[in-house]
Amino acid sequence: MIQLSNIEKVYRTKAIETIALDKINLTINKGEFVAIMGPSGCGKSSLLNIMGLLDAPTTGVLTIDGQSVTNFRNKKLANFRNQKLGFIFQSYHLINDLSVVDNVELPLLYRSGVTSFERRKLAVEALEKVGLSARTKHYPNQLSGGQRQRVAIARAIVGNPEIILADEPTGNLDSAMGEEVMKIMLDLNKQEGTTIVMVTHDEFMAKKTQRIIRFFDGQQVN
Amino acid sequence: MIKNYIKLALKLMLRKKYYTALTLVGISFTIMIITVFASFVDQIIGANTPERNRSRMLLLDKVSIYRNGKSTDATPSVHFLQHLPKLESAETVSILKRNEFVSFLNGKTAGHVLQQTDENLWNIADFKFVEGKSYTTDDVKSGARVAVINEKTKEHFFNNEDAEGKSITIYGQAFKVIGVLKSAAAFSKLYGDVYVPYTTDMNLHTTEKAIEGTYSAIILSKSEDARKVRTELRSQMRKIGRNANGADSLKLYPFSSIEQFAKSSSSNDDEPEYGKTTIILLIVMVLFMLIPAISLINLNLSRIGERAEEIGVRKSFGATSGALVKQFIIENVIITLIGGLIGLGMSIYASKLLIQVINSFDPLFKMPTDTFIVSWPVFAFCLFSCLIFGLVSGAYPAWKMSRMNVIYALKGGNSL
Repeated sequence: MIQLSNIEKVYRTKAIETIALDKINLTINKGEFVAIMGPSGCGKSSLLNIMGLLDAPTTGVLTIDGQSVTNFRNKKLANFRNQKLGFIFQSYHLINDLSVVDNVELPLLYRSGVTSFERRKLAVEALEKVGLSARTKHYPNQLSGGQRQRVAIARAIVGNPEIILADEPTGNLDSAMGEEVMKIMLDLNKQEGTTIVMVTHDEFMAKKTQRIIRFFDGQQVN
Repeated sequence: MIKNYIKLALKLMLRKKYYTALTLVGISFTIMIITVFASFVDQIIGANTPERNRSRMLLLDKVSIYRNGKSTDATPSVHFLQHLPKLESAETVSILKRNEFVSFLNGKTAGHVLQQTDENLWNIADFKFVEGKSYTTDDVKSGARVAVINEKTKEHFFNNEDAEGKSITIYGQAFKVIGVLKSAAAFSKLYGDVYVPYTTDMNLHTTEKAIEGTYSAIILSKSEDARKVRTELRSQMRKIGRNANGADSLKLYPFSSIEQFAKSSSSNDDEPEYGKTTIILLIVMVLFMLIPAISLINLNLSRIGERAEEIGVRKSFGATSGALVKQFIIENVIITLIGGLIGLGMSIYASKLLIQVINSFDPLFKMPTDTFIVSWPVFAFCLFSCLIFGLVSGAYPAWKMSRMNVIYALKGGNSL
C-alpha cells in the first residue's frame, strides 16, 4: 500500500545540514495497522509528513497504492491527499469557528460532485461511528479533549480514505480517553480494513497495533 | 462550497468583533466618501431631473468679443441671444438669467433663487409639477407677472397650503403663482426657487443693443454630439462678422455640463479635454480606495498567523491553493460588501449633512437637503467599487495565505 524506497530527508540551512531521514526502505501493507516509535527528533514526524504528502523527500521514491507520487504537482497532490489519505493530529487541529459537523464535512468540500446534502449525511454517519452524533451542532471548544479527537477521527474517515496517518493521536489524552480513541482506530482497521500508520510515544498503545517500526537518529532500527 | 465560505465568513465576523468593527469602519467610511463624491459629480454632470437631457443641453454663458485686435469675454445680453441665428443642429434654445431676491414674511427672512426665463425652458427641462402649470409664450410676450415656484418656496410663503392663484412679491412687484414644482437638484444650473418670464425683468431694456449682458442660453442639441452645435454656431458667428454691433468677430462657448466640468481642468477654452478630467477623477477615486485598501491588506496580512492552523488543516485534507484563494477572497468581498452597504446608508446622511454645512455658510440661501440624493447609477457604481475594493484588498493576502507551507501552518507558524 505504502512503499518507501531510499527515502532521505535533509533539512539545510546556511550553517547546518540535518539528516532527518536516512535512506529509509519501508513497506506498509494494505489493511495493516502500524505504529512508528522512537525518541523525539528521530524522524517519525518527518516520515509521516512524507507519507502524508505534506512534505517532499530530498531523495527517494514514495509509492502509494501503486502510484509513484514523488513527482506529483501541487494540485494532484491535493487531490490525492483528499481521496486517499486521512489525518489525525495530536492537537486535533479542529477549526474552532466551525461546528462539529462542519469540521467533519471539511474534506468533502474539496471533493467534486458531492452535494451539500451528501456531505451532511456522510458527516453525520462518521460522527455516529465515533459516538458523537449528538454533538453535531456543538463547537470544538465545547467538547472535551477525547471528544475533540473523536471529531478529528470522524473528519479523517468521512471521505472513506484507504490510509489514515495519525500523529500521536492519544498524546494529549488521559489513559481512559486514549483507550477510547485507540479502540475506535482498531475497530476502523478491523472492520473497514483501513490502513493506519500511527506515530506514538506510548509503548502500551503501540503494542495494540500489528507492527511496531522503531526509529533512531533518522534510521529504522528494528 | 460557496455557501460554506459565506457561513464561515459571517461566523468569523461575529467571533472577531474587534477586527470586524475595525474593517467595517474603514470600508464604510471609504465607500461613504466615494458615494458622496460620486453623487456630487453625478449632480453636476449626470442626467437627473430636471436635466434629463443633460448630455444634449449646452449652456451658453460666455462670448468673446474681438474689437480692434483686442478681445473681451462677457456674458451675453438678452438682445444678442434673442437674435441668435436659427441652428440646424439645435432643437430649441431657451433664454434665462439666474438672480436672487430676499423675502421678509412673518418675521422670517429667506433668500430665493430667481430664474428669469422664456417659455422654452419648460420644453428643455424635465420638471415635475405638483400644482398648476408653466407659463406660456403669450405670458412671456406680454410680460405677464406670473410665477412658478418650487415646494421649498411654497412652504415658506404659504405654509404648504395650495399656492396656485396666490401671489408673491418679487422686487416689490406682485406675481401670481400659476404652478408649483418639485424642488430640483440644488447643483443644477436650472435650479430655481422661483421662475418668472424674463420679460418681467425690470433691467431688460437698458442693455438692449449691446452684446454684453447678464443672460445665458440653454441650447438643446438634436444629437448627443455637442460639437455640432458649437461648430455651427461659431461658423454662423463668422458670417455675422462686423455686423455684430461694432465687433470684428465673436466667439461663443456653448458647452454641456460634462464639457463644462471637463473644461474646468483644461487650459484649452475652445474644446474640453475629457481625458485629463477623467484621469484626475480616476486618480482621486483610486486614491480614495487605495489608501484604505492598503490598510486592509496590512490588516489581513497580520492575521495570516492567526489562521495558519486552519490553512494547514484545509491543505492537509485536500484544499488546493486556488480553493484557499477563492475562500479568502469571498470572505473579504463579503465583509467589504457589508461595509459598503453601511457606507452607502451613511452617505445618504452624510450628503444631507454636507448640504446643512454648506447652508450654514449662507443661511439666507439654503439649498433643499432632500435633493442631494444617491441615484441608482451612483449606487451601482459604488457597489461595484465595493467589489473591486474587496478583491484588491483580499487578493494579495489570500494568495500569500494559500502559499503557506502546510507543516509550518499546522504548527501555527507563518513561514511562507
